[in-house]
Amino acid sequence: MIQFDLLRMGDSSKISIADDLRVDLELDKIIAVASNGDKLISETWSNMLLLRNSSEDVMRYRQEAVRDALANRDVIIKMYSIARDTIERVKRDVFILLLRTDDPPAVARETSRGIRILLDGLEEMLTLLKSSPSFSSTAFREFVSSFTANINDQFISSARGVASIFDTSRENITFSVKIGSSNYLKDPVLLVPREGGSFLSRILSLGKEYTYKLDPRDEAGPRIIYDIKKWVLHRSATVLLRSFNDMMKFFEDLMRQLSFYVGVINMSDFFARIGLPQTYPEVNPGVFAFKDLHCLSLAISTSSKPIPSTLSINASDSFAILITGANRGGKTTFLKAIGQALLLARAGIFVPAESFTIPTSGAVYTHFLRGEDRALSYGKFEEEVKRFRGFANFLRRGDFVLMDESFSSTNPIEASVVAENVVSALVDSGVNVAYVTFLQDFIYNFTRRYGERAVLLVPERLKSGERTFRLVRGSLQPGYAMDLWVKLSSNPSKEQH
Amino acid sequence: MVGNDIAKDLRILELVDDILGRNRDEFLRELYLEPLSREEAAVFRLMVFQDLMINDVYRMVEGFVERIRESERLIQLKEEAYDQHKVGLHLDAALTYIDAVESFYNGLRAIGPRSEGLKQFLNYLEQVINSPYFRSMKERAREAKETRDRIIIKVRFVEDGVKVSKYNGDGEDLTALVERTFSIFKDGNGEEVKWIKSTGDMTHIHAAILEGAFRFYREEYEILRRFMEDFPTVIDEGVRSFAREVEFYLTYLRYMRRIMERGYTFSIPSFTRDGSMHVKGFYSLLLVKAGKAVVSNDIDTDGARRIFVITGMNSGGKTTFAISLGQLVYLSTLGLPVPAVEARLPFFTSIMTAFPTEEDPRESLSRLEHDVVRALNIIKRANDTTLVIANELFSTTTSDEGFQLSKLFLSELNNKRSYCLFITFIPKVASLEFTISLVAMPSPEDPEKPSYRIIPGPPPKEYMAVRIAAKHQLLYDDLRRVVK
Repeated sequence: MIQFDLLRMGDSSKISIADDLRVDLELDKIIAVASNGDKLISETWSNMLLLRNSSEDVMRYRQEAVRDALANRDVIIKMYSIARDTIERVKRDVFILLLRTDDPPAVARETSRGIRILLDGLEEMLTLLKSSPSFSSTAFREFVSSFTANINDQFISSARGVASIFDTSRENITFSVKIGSSNYLKDPVLLVPREGGSFLSRILSLGKEYTYKLDPRDEAGPRIIYDIKKWVLHRSATVLLRSFNDMMKFFEDLMRQLSFYVGVINMSDFFARIGLPQTYPEVNPGVFAFKDLHCLSLAISTSSKPIPSTLSINASDSFAILITGANRGGKTTFLKAIGQALLLARAGIFVPAESFTIPTSGAVYTHFLRGEDRALSYGKFEEEVKRFRGFANFLRRGDFVLMDESFSSTNPIEASVVAENVVSALVDSGVNVAYVTFLQDFIYNFTRRYGERAVLLVPERLKSGERTFRLVRGSLQPGYAMDLWVKLSSNPSKEQH
Repeated sequence: MVGNDIAKDLRILELVDDILGRNRDEFLRELYLEPLSREEAAVFRLMVFQDLMINDVYRMVEGFVERIRESERLIQLKEEAYDQHKVGLHLDAALTYIDAVESFYNGLRAIGPRSEGLKQFLNYLEQVINSPYFRSMKERAREAKETRDRIIIKVRFVEDGVKVSKYNGDGEDLTALVERTFSIFKDGNGEEVKWIKSTGDMTHIHAAILEGAFRFYREEYEILRRFMEDFPTVIDEGVRSFAREVEFYLTYLRYMRRIMERGYTFSIPSFTRDGSMHVKGFYSLLLVKAGKAVVSNDIDTDGARRIFVITGMNSGGKTTFAISLGQLVYLSTLGLPVPAVEARLPFFTSIMTAFPTEEDPRESLSRLEHDVVRALNIIKRANDTTLVIANELFSTTTSDEGFQLSKLFLSELNNKRSYCLFITFIPKVASLEFTISLVAMPSPEDPEKPSYRIIPGPPPKEYMAVRIAAKHQLLYDDLRRVVK
């Protein structure tokens, strides 16, 4: 068996709210750029970005392979096309449908044809790998060494020989058989056919062979013989089918795993075209920091470099980033940029920033406001609560929850209480939160209670009043409104005139 | 044969269908619909059941019957088969039969059955096995089989036919070659190629292959052929009819198993002579089948009083109680184990029922008149081994008149010393001094719900409808306070 694991996907289970994440973080835009119309790349990227599990080790393993793939991009693309072309030829030339039936002779015939196509593919791959420059990453080195350990010219030629028996001699099978209970035939053993035999040996066998000739009018006879062939061939057909399936699976697995790296090559090309910085994320417990992080989906939609963000916070404890302030200040874009970069980082892919450091490789969850209707309703509120509850069971220490206007479907007073309950519980449990919110009670209480661990960001506004679409650290000014009230009420004339 | 009314009211046909399961054997069906008239016959059957309720005995008998049937099947196949197959089918029919008889005889004798039925059959089998015919058939069958096992041939399909020759072991196993070659791609499992054939295993092509084989194995063929000639009869007639009749027991035991798997008990009923009846923990087979919650009940009398009057809340399980007991009595008269923890009861010679009927507009009689006619018919036929089950009889008149009719009916039955389950809404009937009053009890947790327990005691003093009206403040005082 050829062993390789270019992706380290583990059990490959997805984050429980994968579909929400995909929509909320506009992953389809990112996936479309990576796949460039290739459905398989699109699937693989979607799986990789939404994996439930990752770890620092896995991230490093993939980052190394990603660098390797970019350095050997021509070989990667060639390997991918060998796998793809081989699979396509099998699908074109083999009646795959027949393989699912209960017709062993047909299965043997079709799989032997398929196996010969697959052997051609293996041979081509072998030639490429023999002449290619060596890879540097563990992932690709292990693949090459396992492949060449199992596949060599001798295997290819003997396998071709065996497969061809089932193509040429299927009409004239030979088998040994015994007589069992009720005089039924039993224990058939399919035998390797003997080529013709000499004239002499045919003379010698005269009289030693009983011949039954079918009557030309015997319509049932050929059907019965075909049924006996099914019976005799079914074990061989099973072995052939399994070998065929396993060889197909090898190519399919390889193609699937390579598709991730072909997507990486495409994405790297996009970064270069737009001029996005390309950095490999680092894991550093205690730090959550990035410099000039761009929202990738926005870069894709606008085909240009969006305004980047920079942030650095002490993450020795779990934290909550609260983002508030006027609309259209880039708050949701900021949230998306963080979410996308986290997912890319976990997948082992570079991110659009000058630097990107995360405290853990935790999973990402989103809870974004749904729908355009802003009317308050307990029905909607209940839906929000249920949606949150839906993933809460899956949360683990070190995960990230991104919230966009959560709990705003009820009035801000009671919503604040809920929000405070929820966010305090998450942060105290070691989950990191980034929350775009207008809930003043909540922001006030939470930032007061959590001090350093609560980071408040507001849109930057220059002294001229101009917006920069950057977020900067801000602070709430408690009593500000009261002060204003006092101020205005104590000195009305000044304002009036 | 069981009467139509009883079959319908006690849902006997449904029960028999459940017992038969997928088996649609008419011979068996009739046996289950034919109550025995003599107690001894029932006891004979119950003794056999006692043996068969031992798991080892059951499995042994079941296996025996299966193999006898297999042997019969092979002999039947022989009728239509080609000569080349006939010799083989005959041999295997004999081998199957010989092994079935011997292993059953040895196994059963080791356990030692206690029932007359099985003891008699064991003695019979002993004679069969020791007969010279059986002995030499056994010896020759073994020899014939060994001979056949030696045959191995090579078959080649060519364009226009088949070529057969003796196989000298010089071929190479192609499947093994494929396996070896592709071993690096084998992860040990995967899908299996199925082969479904549309033709038989004993066709002229198979016969031709066998013919080829026998050309090269002449002597072996002769041994097979002579065995068939010398032992034309395989299955003994007595054995054959035992296998058929014992199915009556096996079918019922299989049914019992299905019920017992759900945690219920069957017991062998014993028949009392003093008129007493003591049935403990009986339950509804139909409810078990339907997967519903099942409550078991008891019924008791020393035989002095035999008329049970059942009253109590609606949907409290009264009818289920009556039908369950009726079915239990019915099964006991067939000599079958009954669904109860313990059952001592008279051997009833007849069961009669009077359940509510739909008013038939074409009939000239009213329902009440119809009830009276039925009651009188029952009285006419009832005796001291009759069980009468009457459900809401005389309910289409005033309760006073209903009471009077009930009293007349029940007194007559009492005089005849018949047994009766009488379900009624008229509480006064339960006060008749020759009756035993049973009442459907409400659930102790929620008095508005039934417990499905039917226990001795006086009819309830408080009516459910009144309780519900009170809960919603609809009683006199409530309405007085509200309506001003």
